[in-house]
Formats: sequence, structure tokens, C-alpha cells
Amino acid sequence: MIDLLDFWRDSVPQLLDGLEVTLRITGVALALGIPLGLALALGVQSPTSSIRYPSLAIVEIGRGAPALILLQFAYFGLPSAGLSLSSFAAASMALAWTTGAYTSEIIRAGLQAVPRGQREAAVAVGMTHIDGLRFVIVPQAMRIAAPALLGFAVLMLQASSLCFAIALPELLSQAYIIGTNTFRYMPILCLAGALYAAICIPASLAVASIERELSRHTA
Amino acid sequence: MTLDAVLLIASGIPLTLAVTAGAFALGAVLGIPLCALRVSRSSTLHLAAVAIIMLLRSIPPIVWLFLLYFGIGSGFLRVGPVEASVAALGLITAANMAEIYRGALRGVHSGQWEASTALGMKPWARFRDVLAPQICRMALPSSVTFFIGLLKDSAIASTIGVGEIAFQANYISRRTFEGLEVFAVAGLVYILISLPIAAMSRQLDSRLRERVAQ
Amino acid sequence: MLSVSPREERADALVSRREYVRVEGLGKSFGPHRALDDINFAVRSGEVVAIIGPSGSGKSTLLRCLNQLETQSEGSVTLAGITIDAAKPATRQQLTELRRSAGMVFQSFNLFPHMSVLRNVSLPQERVLGRSRKEADERSRALLSRVGLEAKADQYPNRCSGGQQQRIAIARALALDPKIMLFDEPTSALDPELGLEVLAVMQELAEAGMTMIVVTHEMHFAETVSDRIIIMADGRIIEEGPSAEVMRRPTTERAQRFLNAVKNR
Repeated sequence: MIDLLDFWRDSVPQLLDGLEVTLRITGVALALGIPLGLALALGVQSPTSSIRYPSLAIVEIGRGAPALILLQFAYFGLPSAGLSLSSFAAASMALAWTTGAYTSEIIRAGLQAVPRGQREAAVAVGMTHIDGLRFVIVPQAMRIAAPALLGFAVLMLQASSLCFAIALPELLSQAYIIGTNTFRYMPILCLAGALYAAICIPASLAVASIERELSRHTA
Repeated sequence: MTLDAVLLIASGIPLTLAVTAGAFALGAVLGIPLCALRVSRSSTLHLAAVAIIMLLRSIPPIVWLFLLYFGIGSGFLRVGPVEASVAALGLITAANMAEIYRGALRGVHSGQWEASTALGMKPWARFRDVLAPQICRMALPSSVTFFIGLLKDSAIASTIGVGEIAFQANYISRRTFEGLEVFAVAGLVYILISLPIAAMSRQLDSRLRERVAQ
Repeated sequence: MLSVSPREERADALVSRREYVRVEGLGKSFGPHRALDDINFAVRSGEVVAIIGPSGSGKSTLLRCLNQLETQSEGSVTLAGITIDAAKPATRQQLTELRRSAGMVFQSFNLFPHMSVLRNVSLPQERVLGRSRKEADERSRALLSRVGLEAKADQYPNRCSGGQQQRIAIARALALDPKIMLFDEPTSALDPELGLEVLAVMQELAEAGMTMIVVTHEMHFAETVSDRIIIMADGRIIEEGPSAEVMRRPTTERAQRFLNAVKNR
């Protein structure tokens, strides 16, 4: 028992290094992916087919292909097209794609939930289509989408563990390295799992309570 | 990219489907008692179920996979990669299915239960003839959505050497350095598999909708 | 009863004024449904026109065609010098001009809920007229005090009563210095008491000489404030004339039936 605690204590710094990478990659994926999701949400509604179809393709591939495949595509695939990315850059790209594809659906639902009258009012006061989106529709849609986006952010933190497959030194990779060095897979993976749970459980509970709070206000 | 390579990727389809179906079946069954605990009136059982569901859902699938394969597999008993994949994904499925069942249960009007009681039906008959068909009908759309998600999640089995689609793609890309096409084809294969499943579910859904008036 | 009321006097004076709105042969179909059929009328500068009629008669659709929230299927609309014909699509510039000239007030207010009252009134001025923030805010505060709501400037719309929200919506529309104001059942979503404060603001506007077209169910307002009444039924204009005349001596049987139904309620 003492031995186990010592092992954990010795491993914690390396796991925390991994956790930092996990949080960084999740943050970058969301920071790039959510604006992309907004652009795609507007893109799939565009009346111009040269915007609509590419947007649809990006969304459908991003949602239809496993994130693991997208990661490997970016890391192992792009070099054969002459674009070599670091594992962090490749992971950012792939996870931003996944994020963009999924959040575009969330944001599209938000856009549709903005009452029709808001659009009409923006038109009636003479705002251009872009101004109407920028000042009236999108701010309200993002507010409506916020709880679901937060929920997705928690899922993205979990999905970042897939970066193990492209040798990004995130939390799971660090745990795995310690495991191969010490052959004590069980305790180190439990500790890594506990770290994920320690972030994701409170985060999910917070998201759920925000959701309840908001639904009470709108009801 | 050669036809051989495409065929090799396609040769992973059976294992992808097997892992997905196995995990789904395991989870669909385990989800029933978990859901029963979750809606139980005893607060101890209820809280235990909430804790289990939350824990299963808040640790990434690949961490569960490694826990079962490397953690348990390296110490207590030997676990094969396919079994580990089915078990890890099956556990997560159980948590999600429990929540899907619960949502469906809530969707079935309480009047249905009361009406069947009032008609003097026995509890088992009430469940089998009145509740179960409606629960299945309500749970179907989200179950299929989850199944398609699971199909994609099953790609993580490639990291412990299960020879499914992602594994074959990896193998070819390492040998040929044609990662771009290889992973593009692999991604496409996943999409192509999900399409008929989604279509079938829509058809089944509309047929059930006709039969079970809702 | 024999004396000529000031409003009727005003109506006489209006004849010589400029035409602000002209609608010719306007028709609108939603699929097989005929919402508007061969609508013709004109509104002169400074005139207040009430459009009344049973629900589903096409009143709101007509009003929405005037500022092109709906595009007509046939005919043309001329508003403040801009003509929009069903035969050829309007340019973006024409639409912007048109909407700048016509202020619209909706039944459901449609204030922007995520902005303060002041921003609601100022933003369109900044974006559409290119006013500076300071200029716009000054104008907004002046208009808010005109509708009696200066104190609400920094609150959010959902903290205001329905009547207050509608008055803010009127201020927002006025802020663009429109040539004409369109009101689409502005009091229908309000309790009678709150409706009165909105009607008071509208009456003040009318007296100040604003050209107004008001789709309404408020018969008292139609009779006492408007110069002219248009009665619609089944997508057509069935009666049109000076308010007092239309209300007292409708000529068509259909209009009589409608007015009787409303008066005997």
C-alpha cells in the first residue's frame, strides 16, 4: 500500500505534464473548432451551392469518420502530400475539424431557435444580412448553444486521449509510458483515469446545472 | 493506391462490425439492470447507479480499453484484444444505454401503466405487451445514433492490435507511406458503413411509428 | 354633428400633399392560397391610414409587402420614391433605401433581447445611417424620452412591460428618421391598459404629422386618430374612405357585417 502511494506520488509530475498537454490541445481544438463550427453552420444554410456543398462535405466527413482516423490522416497522411506537421499541430488540425463538424450542428440548432421575428426586425430596420447575423442572430444563437457547446467541450477533453495514437505526450501517453517502463499498468492507468474523471465529472455536473438554470429562465 | 490496399482495408470491416455489435449487445443487456437501479426508489441504489454511469462516461473509452487490456490483462488474467475491446466499449455502452432507456421510460405516459393495471393485466404481461414495445420504439432513434458513434469509437481497438479497419489502414500506411489516400479511404469506409445503418433505422422507425401509435 | 371636425378639415388639406405610398395591382399567393388580390391605394404625406378587417383578410401581408418583408406575386409598390415591381427583383440598394424610409413596428415587438434598450435604438442608426455611437445615443435618449421611457435606457427589454417594449420598438423605428411608419397590430399582444399607452404614443406621432399605416383591431383608434380607413376581407379591399364616413355609413354589405360584428362585441 505504501509502495503504491509512493509509485503514484513519483508518477504525478509526469502525469501532470501530460494533463497540461491534454488541456492545451483541448483548448486549441475548441478555439479553432468552434469558430469553424459557426462558419460551417452558416455555410450549410447558404443559398449559394458553392458554399453549401463544401460545408456539408466538411461536416459530414468530420462527423462520419472516426476522430482517430482524422488524427492519423493529419499526422501520417499529410506528410505524403508534402505537409509534415508536428504531432501537436496535426492533433490541433484534426480535433478542430471534429469540433467544427459537431459544433456546427449544435450552432445550427441555435440559429434555428432564434425567433423569426428577430430576423425580420433586423431586416425592417434596414440592416444588411451580414449585420443582422453579426449583431442580432449569431449572438443569440451562441447563447442558446452555449450549454451544449460546454457539454461538447467535456467530450473533446476525453477525445484528446486519442492523440496517444500519434505520439502526442498527453495524459494517456504519459501514463502508458510509465506503464511500459514499470510494468505497473493497472495503478498508473487508474490514476490517469481518475484525473480524467476529476475534471470531467465536475464539468458535466456544472454543465447540467447550467442547462437546468437556463431552461428554468426560458420556460 | 492499389486495389489490394483497398481490399486490405475492407478486410477489416468484419472485425469492426464484430467489435461494435459485441459491445452494443453487451451494453444493451447490462444497461437494463443499470437503468433499473437508476430509477430505483432506494436512494442508495439510485446514487450507486448515478455514480457508475458518471464514472463510465467521464473516463475516455481508450483509457477503459487500456485499463482492461494492459491493466487487468498484464496482471490478473489474460485478456485478448478483441475481448478487451468488446468489454471496454460494452461498459461505456451500458452507461449510455441505461440513460437512453431511462429517457424512453419517461417518454411512455404513466397513464399506460395505470391503464394496463386497471385492465387487470399481470405485471409481466403489462411490461411485455404494453411498456416494452413503447420503450423500444422511443429508444430506437437514440440507440441507433449511439450505435453509429460506437462504430467509430471501435477504431480505438486498432491501438491494441485488433485487425479492424483502422488497424489495416495503419498497417498499410506504415508500409507504403501513402497515408493520405489510405486514411481517406478508411474514413470513407466508416462513413459508407454508417449510411445503410442510418437508413435502416429511419425505415424501422417509421414502420414502428405506424404500428405503435404515438 | 354638422360641424366639420378638425380631422376632416385636415383630410381636405391632405389632398394637395405629396403621395408617399402607391400600391398598384398588388397580389400575393402562398401556393394555392390567394392572400392578396388586386390591391390598389395611395397614401399621402402626413396621412394616417388604418387598415381593418377580419383576421386572415390579408392586412398584415399587405403591410409586410410595403417594406418587402414579403415579396408580392404581382403588381408594384412605390414607397418614398422607390418602386418595387413583382416583374423584376429589387436590388439590395433599393431594399435598403426602402426599409430606411419605412419604420416598422411589429405585433410581437421584436426587440433584440441581448442588448440594452439604448443599444436596441442606437445600433440600427450606427449600422444603417453610419452615425457615431455618441450621436446615435443622443438621438436614442431623445426618442426614448419622447415615448416616456428615458429611465429604461440601460435596462434590458425583458425587464420592461409589453407596453414599454412596444414604445421602445417605436423609438427604434423612429430613430432612422423614416418617412412613413408601418404598424402591424401594435397593440394585439398587449393587455388593454398597456395598449392604451402605446396608442397614446401613436396618437402623438399622428398629431405631429407622421405618415402612418396602421393595421389594427382598435376601432376607436381607427375612428378617432386615422384620416382614412381601409377595410379588407379575403385579400381584397372592400371599403375605403374617410374614417368617420366608413365607420358610420359603410357602403358594402360585407363591410357592414364586419363593423356590426366588431361594434356588437
